[in-house]
Amino acid sequence: MNNKLSPAARREENWGWIMVAPTIIGLIVLNLWPFVQTIYTSFCEHLGFGHYKFIGIGNFIRMFENAEFWRATWNTILFCILTVPVGLFLSLLVAMLLNAKIKFKGGFRTIFFLPMVCAPAAVTMVWRFIFNGEYGILNSIFGTEIGWITDPKFVMVSCAIVAIWSNIGYDAVLLLAGLQNIPKTLYEANSIDGAGKVKQFFTITLPMVSPTLFVVMIMRLMSAVKVYDLIYMMVEETNPAVTSVQSLMYLFYRSSFVAGERGYGSAIVIWTVLLIGMVTVIQFYGQKKWVNYDV
Amino acid sequence: MKKIPRIGSLVLAITLLLSLSGCGASDGKTHLKLQIWDVNQRAGMEAMCAAYTAKNPNVTIEVQVTSWSEYWTKLEAAGESNTMPDIFWMHTDQILYYADFGILADLTDLFDDVEPDYYQNHFSEVSLGNASGSDGRIYGVPKDKDNVVLVYNREMFDQAGVAYPDENWTWDDMTDASQKIYDATGKYGYMAYNDEQLGYWNFVYQNGGYILDPETNIRAGYTQPATADAIKYYVNLQKNDWCPDQTFFAETSPGTAFFSGMGSMFFEGSWNLLDAMKRYPELVGKWDIAPLPKCPNPASGDGTGTISNGLCFATAAHGKNLEVVKDVLRFFGSEEGQRVQGESGAAIPAYLGLEDSWTTQFQNFDYLLNVQVCYDQFDTCVQYINNATRRKWKSTVADEMVRVYNGSNIDESLAKMQQIADSYVVSD
Repeated sequence: MNNKLSPAARREENWGWIMVAPTIIGLIVLNLWPFVQTIYTSFCEHLGFGHYKFIGIGNFIRMFENAEFWRATWNTILFCILTVPVGLFLSLLVAMLLNAKIKFKGGFRTIFFLPMVCAPAAVTMVWRFIFNGEYGILNSIFGTEIGWITDPKFVMVSCAIVAIWSNIGYDAVLLLAGLQNIPKTLYEANSIDGAGKVKQFFTITLPMVSPTLFVVMIMRLMSAVKVYDLIYMMVEETNPAVTSVQSLMYLFYRSSFVAGERGYGSAIVIWTVLLIGMVTVIQFYGQKKWVNYDV
Repeated sequence: MKKIPRIGSLVLAITLLLSLSGCGASDGKTHLKLQIWDVNQRAGMEAMCAAYTAKNPNVTIEVQVTSWSEYWTKLEAAGESNTMPDIFWMHTDQILYYADFGILADLTDLFDDVEPDYYQNHFSEVSLGNASGSDGRIYGVPKDKDNVVLVYNREMFDQAGVAYPDENWTWDDMTDASQKIYDATGKYGYMAYNDEQLGYWNFVYQNGGYILDPETNIRAGYTQPATADAIKYYVNLQKNDWCPDQTFFAETSPGTAFFSGMGSMFFEGSWNLLDAMKRYPELVGKWDIAPLPKCPNPASGDGTGTISNGLCFATAAHGKNLEVVKDVLRFFGSEEGQRVQGESGAAIPAYLGLEDSWTTQFQNFDYLLNVQVCYDQFDTCVQYINNATRRKWKSTVADEMVRVYNGSNIDESLAKMQQIADSYVVSD
């Protein structure tokens, strides 16, 4: 194939390689190689200080026999179910409101984006005050006595609320960009045809914004499967509700860094990667049904 | 105008050069690093380092503080790549992992030229136990020692007309007082929460039970009757009206509850007392400490017992400045060095006979806390529970304890805890 290229084109190709080299090298060193190592580690027992002993599929057998692991898997899936659809719906709603002709639009956009700028640790600290069962604002307002982050029935919902709240702004900005790419003429033509607002949403807005929506959904799902910091900050290890909210990555952290069992921790990571892979494959097949790439 | 950027870059270049030379120690001095995790002890550690530099002007030691959770991730990574700080604190939870793997320098012979049996003459058996590896050799110079005390609110005791706790107090006296205070003031009594060192371990050893078999320190004793009874007693304290339940403690630590006036008693480690005095100046004189209440009818023993831990100064086995570091460590373990530590208020010196130097900082307050309690309790203390496998089963056992507090059958959970801990014994 190279033979067909003129010297100029070949020079250009070389330059192309040089230009992408920093990124590619970075990816290989920081992402790809560690991933290969993780796969190897998952078949090993960590003896300490970077020394490993190959033990075959022992870690995986132990993992699949462990009730705590299955609980963490279910918690992670539940977290996705709770945060992704609601989060997407609310983000789209906010994006559409911010796209409408309203006063102080810039101000609102800033406010919705603010959670993205705040340090996650600070965000969770504030939410822990809000949720506090003894003197939290939430219970004072509603006159309830719910242990939002200590009752196993509520703790997952509470964490989901914080996750949704933190991400709405960012998702809305992405969706807003998608909305603004929709030509105004489409709406004009549609309303001349006598279509109402609701019909307009389903026939124009949704199909036109669906590529952006798809990207946002994939991103959100992946980060939901990988959820760790939020739950770690919200729910401490002695919290009686910890088993009801412990995610796969939380379990990984505790296995690898608290108990020092990096082999077992790596097996959990491999399982999580497979989970993300499965979800993503399903989505790419599913998108053919609803994502519209024709303009 | 154009000159400014040029001057700027010149300054920048010179600073960069200077900072480079800093690494190379071109001033002829040896620069060492001391890594610690407790910011409250920074001043005390700096005082110790300064005292050493005063005697050895060609060695300077920089104190670096890293938070507890990051400390161990960093130290382990540094251990793998042989880039550990020159001197660092070691905790009993971790020392066996590092020592047994050959990461730490063997310091058993450190004081041989100074005095034979130096360690045995100047440090307690418990202190040395907390600084030893599984092979019984010493891998750290004992730094400090601590134990657990009962903290109580004097005002609430006065209001309820209950006498202050003393060394004769038993568990029954504590629960009676809790009930009386709760009835009289509506405040919580003794706040018993899910914790090992500051919680049920103390009760287990007072009752004559054990977490690890005292003979071999290998097998766990969760199902041993005295242990099981003590854990049940401790867990069931939360069933009383005067004790908050575990959901309360998930959001409010007993210390926070105590110092905000919600409860009258809790167990605290001696290492937190000075910080509490400083942090709540308006409460000075309103609270004090007492020995841990005794078990009234122990299965064996005299009913006393408080968990005593201690940190030590360790260094890497293959450190670059090992000889200089060893000299610093000799000073840190000397009477002079340990006195500096005690008087700075950092912690109770491990060096025998210097305990009360720690009182110095407490004398700065209008009310003198009864710190003598801490010193006296060393006579009846129990060495912090640890063995080589505990690191692996620690968090799984803690998870099972959470289940106990969630209402699972306690006997089943104890059996499971036993099984978890024992499963690591067999594999060795």
